[in-house]
Amino acid sequence: MASRLRPGSQKKQIKEKIVQIYESFFKGEDVAAGNANFWDELFLLRPRVSVLESELARLSSEQLSALKVPLNQLFARCVDVVREEHLLRAAHALQTLSGLVAGVCRQPRPGPQSDAVDLLVGLDAAEREMGRLCGRCAELLAGLYPETLRSLVLDALLAVAAASEDINRNGLLEYLMINSSLFEPVIQLLSHGATRSVHGHKCVLLLTLLVNYRKSEPANPYVVKLSILDDELALNGYSQVITAALSDFNWKYAAQTCDSQSQGWLSSLTSMVGNMFVADELATRSESIKANHGVLVALYEAVHLNRNFIATLTQASTDASSQPPSPQSTLDREQAPAPPAAGQPDPLGAPVNLLVAFLQYCSIVMQDTKSDAATNNVRQCFIVLTCVSEDQYCNSLMHDPNLVFVVRLHRLPMRHRKATDRPAHPQPLATALLDLTVEFIMSHLMKRFPLDLYLQCVGIVHRVLCYQKRCRVRLGYHWRELWSALMSLLKFIVSNENAVVKRNNIFELAILVVNIFNLFITYGDTFLPTPTSYDELYYELIRMHQVFSNLYSMSLRYSNEGEHREAAMRLTNNLVNIRAICNHFSPKIEAWSQANNQTSLTEDQVLDVVRSNYESLTLKLQESLDQYERYAESPRYSSFFTAVVRSVIRDTWSGLNFDQVDHASLLNQTSAIS
Amino acid sequence: MASRAAPPLTCKPAPVALPLPPEVTAVHGAPAPCGRPRRPGRATHQRNLSLDFRSMGIVLPPVQHSSLRRTHHRNRSLDSVLQEIPELEAAEETALKPALSCPRVRRAGPPPPPPVAAAAAPRLGGEDAASLGSTDSGISSDGSERDFRGDVEHAATGAAAMASGPARSAIDSDWPPAGAPVTGAAPVTVTAGTPVTGAGSVTVTAASVTPVTVMAAGDAKPGTQKSWLLRLFESKLFDMSIAVNYLFNSKEPGVQTYIVNRMFSFSEEDTDFFLPQLVNMYIQMPDVAEVLHPYLVHRCRKSVNFSLHTARLLDAYSSDANLSNKKKPLGTRLRNLILSDELRPKGATAAERRLAVPPARPGEQTLSPLRRTHQRSRSDATASYSKGHQRTGSTGSMRCYLGDIGSGRAFDSGCSCYDTAQGKCNDLLGRRVECVCGAPRLRPQLEFIGALMSIGQRLGAMPTREAKTTQLLNELSLLNLNLPARVWLPLYSTGHHVVRVPAQAAAVLNSKDKAPYMLYPHLPQDKAPYMLYVEVVEVDGPETAPVPAKCINTLRHTRSEESLETAAAAAAPAAPALPTTFSLYGNMDAENADCWSQEDDDISQQYWQLRRPRLERERDTISQMSLESADSREPVLIAPGDIRRRLADSLAAPRSTFARDPEDPSAAVLKEPWAEKERRIRASSPYGHLAGWRLLPVIVKCGDDLRQELLAYQLLETLDRLWKLERVPLWVRPYRIVVLSADSGLIEPVVNTVSLHQVKKNSRMSLKEYFLQEFGDVTTEAFLTAQRNFVQSCAAYCIVCYLLQVKDRHNGNILLDSAGHLIHIDFGFMLSTSPKNLGFEASPFKLTPEFVEVMGGLGSDMFEYFKILMLQGLVAARKHHEKLLTLVEIMRSGSQLPCFRSGAATVQFLRNRFHMNMTEEQLQYLVDSMVESSIHSLTTKLYDGFQYFTNGIL
Repeated sequence: MASRLRPGSQKKQIKEKIVQIYESFFKGEDVAAGNANFWDELFLLRPRVSVLESELARLSSEQLSALKVPLNQLFARCVDVVREEHLLRAAHALQTLSGLVAGVCRQPRPGPQSDAVDLLVGLDAAEREMGRLCGRCAELLAGLYPETLRSLVLDALLAVAAASEDINRNGLLEYLMINSSLFEPVIQLLSHGATRSVHGHKCVLLLTLLVNYRKSEPANPYVVKLSILDDELALNGYSQVITAALSDFNWKYAAQTCDSQSQGWLSSLTSMVGNMFVADELATRSESIKANHGVLVALYEAVHLNRNFIATLTQASTDASSQPPSPQSTLDREQAPAPPAAGQPDPLGAPVNLLVAFLQYCSIVMQDTKSDAATNNVRQCFIVLTCVSEDQYCNSLMHDPNLVFVVRLHRLPMRHRKATDRPAHPQPLATALLDLTVEFIMSHLMKRFPLDLYLQCVGIVHRVLCYQKRCRVRLGYHWRELWSALMSLLKFIVSNENAVVKRNNIFELAILVVNIFNLFITYGDTFLPTPTSYDELYYELIRMHQVFSNLYSMSLRYSNEGEHREAAMRLTNNLVNIRAICNHFSPKIEAWSQANNQTSLTEDQVLDVVRSNYESLTLKLQESLDQYERYAESPRYSSFFTAVVRSVIRDTWSGLNFDQVDHASLLNQTSAIS
Repeated sequence: MASRAAPPLTCKPAPVALPLPPEVTAVHGAPAPCGRPRRPGRATHQRNLSLDFRSMGIVLPPVQHSSLRRTHHRNRSLDSVLQEIPELEAAEETALKPALSCPRVRRAGPPPPPPVAAAAAPRLGGEDAASLGSTDSGISSDGSERDFRGDVEHAATGAAAMASGPARSAIDSDWPPAGAPVTGAAPVTVTAGTPVTGAGSVTVTAASVTPVTVMAAGDAKPGTQKSWLLRLFESKLFDMSIAVNYLFNSKEPGVQTYIVNRMFSFSEEDTDFFLPQLVNMYIQMPDVAEVLHPYLVHRCRKSVNFSLHTARLLDAYSSDANLSNKKKPLGTRLRNLILSDELRPKGATAAERRLAVPPARPGEQTLSPLRRTHQRSRSDATASYSKGHQRTGSTGSMRCYLGDIGSGRAFDSGCSCYDTAQGKCNDLLGRRVECVCGAPRLRPQLEFIGALMSIGQRLGAMPTREAKTTQLLNELSLLNLNLPARVWLPLYSTGHHVVRVPAQAAAVLNSKDKAPYMLYPHLPQDKAPYMLYVEVVEVDGPETAPVPAKCINTLRHTRSEESLETAAAAAAPAAPALPTTFSLYGNMDAENADCWSQEDDDISQQYWQLRRPRLERERDTISQMSLESADSREPVLIAPGDIRRRLADSLAAPRSTFARDPEDPSAAVLKEPWAEKERRIRASSPYGHLAGWRLLPVIVKCGDDLRQELLAYQLLETLDRLWKLERVPLWVRPYRIVVLSADSGLIEPVVNTVSLHQVKKNSRMSLKEYFLQEFGDVTTEAFLTAQRNFVQSCAAYCIVCYLLQVKDRHNGNILLDSAGHLIHIDFGFMLSTSPKNLGFEASPFKLTPEFVEVMGGLGSDMFEYFKILMLQGLVAARKHHEKLLTLVEIMRSGSQLPCFRSGAATVQFLRNRFHMNMTEEQLQYLVDSMVESSIHSLTTKLYDGFQYFTNGIL
């Protein structure tokens, strides 16, 4: 009390009783000695988790090992109390537990690492204690308990799940695997709108971490359960949590760009101001991108593991997910379609669905590939998109002409064009996806050529085209934009040969791009919207024939020597049709212009020539144009995901604050019930 | 007549005539104790008097009665014998079973005089409590100052002994249906002859009381005018139309009562057709309301659908402001009564109910005389309190999610009675399952319709068409989370459950089409009609049948490439709580489904391609070749010319749909052939494999008054029926309407149609050319059939347009179906209203030269046929004009609808248009001249032009 009255007196601060207990506890004293009711009373005191944590963190490995017995005792007591009926004590015990786990596991300690499980629970008692804990946690989550308490349970579970930076080495998680009863209550929380708005994020995060524990081994029951989950409501809830997080980010971004743009317009005298804003914006952006890591992984796991989840990609939110999730707004379902709060830039205010939010998010994220973290983020996005574009059902959703949405793709301001985001029309999602890839292709032709991302990006285009070819879907897309983007990509590769080729095997990429053109040439009849578009394809090829011949000569050069010999040879082979087209039509056009005495031909004239000269041309049929290697997480992306999960765990730690509990409401709720 | 009446006369007299305390002998209109309930301030109500023979000197024999209990004697009169109210309920819950348990005891026996009363009294007691007394505080509150149940039982048991004899004889005797009234009347004749009352007084009674009784005695008396009425009622011609007509026109309470009683014997479809009229009369005419009440209550008890329909119509038709305050409460009260969900079927048996009555009940009973409430419903409620709450949510919580769209159980009343083992067993046995848990009966359906309406309202708030479309998609996918549920579309009479609403197939409709004038005072913001396709599964008795289990698109259960089969199999027993999908998939649950991989997808893909039509397969040969070429190094050559040609061909191939137009997305949606759409949606639906799967279209309208459309539907339907009856090959397509309130409702879309506007806009050719394109050359059979269809439907609608003066006939309101039929929609302007009287549309009906061109031009055979058809149609309509007039006339009373703007003259004008005084030659001349003037009408052309300029309708 005194300390509260005089916060300034640093010197001799009277410590809270609980802190004293902590201190004496860590000194190795037998705190319970003098007081028979000590343990009963301990959990009536409000725990100071941060103190507990820092006390623990201060200890060296040796000291910790010495404290093993009392730690185990404390842990066991905590578990006992959590299982008690008295909810306030249970809540305190949960907090203490979280503090224990955090204090022991969070800080990497120098010296020999002792096993966290042994330190905390004791190896021999671990199975029993963790089983009891898990069982009770599941009970608390499933039953009618105060939300604050549930939130504490989730916190504690998150602390356990994130106990080790390398998730696969987290011994505590093993026991959560054995007691997989947590899955159902967590899913339950996700299915109900009210609980979802409060706990949704934590639930999804927890599931993500659980799924990522030794995911390549078949023993992980959460992987299995998540992949066979077919409760539409739960899946929908899952997707809404992600949607909420993503669209929250989108809105923040849009609000910022709006601000900076209008500011820049008003004070257009100095570009300095604008620059300042951009810098500012970038800083905040990367911050929130990091915060979204967990959500992205969650999205990936759902899309990757669960077939049924795909269906929820285009489902709208049931609650006000378009707004940042706050209990008040989500509780009231009438608010769902209400436009966002004033000042937010989305004039439509229509509730977004996950895929729309995600595409918008991608368009923002991929503007920045400077740092490794940012690149990883983009890579992760592209992996999700790859999964999506491989899925038959999702493709059919994206190509459904009746399923049209407004997708506001953000474009990076570049020197040669204005940063205006295009006016958005409702369109099938495949169109938006293609727009996104075109945008990426056009905006990342830089010296630090992100080859891996390009491969993924073009791969997505390829997958979409394969679907269209197979299912004979004629998407009304302005294919010219895609063609010119791909040609610019080839042009960039050819002209920056020295800078790019040395570091990367760009031939794979070139082959992929050329194959896409070959797809158009060979199977255009199955998915092009009009006969004219087929003519236009030829027009574009002929117009850019220089690029292809340069590419050809480059590949010839590399096909004799060097490490990329085989790839280069394949590229030469794949170019054969395009070269045939160029060689066939160019003289025809020349002849025509001479005959008509015109030096420069209009597009229509060229198209006429093309149309009249199809017959005399024969092409070679190229094989397996519509084949692609299906996405597989391991082994290619295993290490990538390990790194990603690592950062998710770090994010989780920074997001967890065990002291920040609304104690008043906790008191209120627990006392009201018990 | 006499022969018909014979059987009752021959039946044995009742064995006993019981002496009764004299004070109970009085029946109707008697002073307080046994008096028929009478509402204060309703002095005009004549019914009691007319049925009261006491005043006329007829003294009914006393009924056995304990002096303490005073039964409610409302029906102890002549008409009671005519009662045809099913006695099932009464029989079930009383101890009367031996006597009256035969469920078809509709017509009371014609026992000799003393038993008449005796038999009637118990019946009445039962009947009253069953269908009237308890629920209608207004009518029988006075009489219900006692506990009705006790009443019922008492009356029933008391009368059982003596009633059994005659009642049985009545039941057993084989009555011809039409003979019913006669039987009812028969006792009177007997009475006349009996010494109990003077014969003279009987004749007085006969003359003054009801036509029915007159009729009964009729043979003896010289046929008065009224006897013809009864003869009409007895005749085979007597149908709902006539019934409603006389209900409306007759001021005789006896006649009204008689008609209402007869209505119990009409089929439900017949009476349902006239529900709007009945409801309107209920609201507008208190005397009719009184007699109608038992019928409506009876039907409401039986059916959720009927309850909701009635409640909605009551709501819609009493919304007019000009309704006097006195009239309003009647309809509103009934509506509230229905919506309070107190009119439940009498499911629980008496024993159960007795069990269910908590000890607190007696206390309540002592209160009841003061409060004058009805008792039955309360006992129902108490039954539910004790029996209910058996349902358990998935969490084990008992929360009710009704109406919470986000919960996934918004339309789940929580009633699990039908899903229990008992319920399923009963269902299989064909036994009627009764809900005993007391879950809200109407709420799920109300919530469902409410959800549809609120979607419409929210759509209206959206600024652009795009936003609306997106919003609609989102809202529907939300709605889907709550389906399947025990809800149905009230538009369709076949029993079904809604299982899914495919969001992709829905479309926002052009509300602009509906507003013919820019000046027309409509609020475009509020109107957002949208069209839905609803997947349903047909069931018998949607109120009780179990709802199909939820399934989602499960092509395979997992996509992860990890070897999950073993793990999943191991996990399966550990997690039995996991909701398994429908058994079709369930079979291969653990073993196969999980390892279904992309390879399977590819295989099925190839399988698909094999099954494709040959033509398409040939087109696909290239990819085949590309596979083969992998082996042979020999390069396969292809010609880009071919590729382009194929592309051009596949696009030039005649397409059944219009190109998707972002401005008018509904066009493409509507044009797609229904069967094709159904197949497509079925293929993509997870419920497609269910046996009763069907796709039903519906248009949901908010902000539009559909009452006029409903009237139009009734008129069209009537015309359709009478033309069929008269074998005139005219073709109309009445589309169903459900009025949800005064400004919202559901419309049945006419499938396989496009509007003429869309035809012109999308195909850019004349109607004749379009016919040629769609159906083939003039000489082909397809064309000729289509042409005949066109002529028959065009003639029919010309008559409709003329008779009803349907206006606003622009091309957006005229549809063409895939068989060539012409269909008019939108009857927003008819009878005495038209879109502003600018002098447009002065012609009798819309018949453009284009239409005539399709028929083959002026003077062609088909054109002549057209005129003949019109004449035949008119003659037929004229023959049955009363039916049409009745519909219109009843709806006119107290109505504010624009089509009745000219008041009573509306009906008169309508009557005039039937040209009753003309000979057929004159009619023919009339038709000719009307056709002539319509073809050459300048105003039609002007109106089309006007529409084009104002609304862009071609």
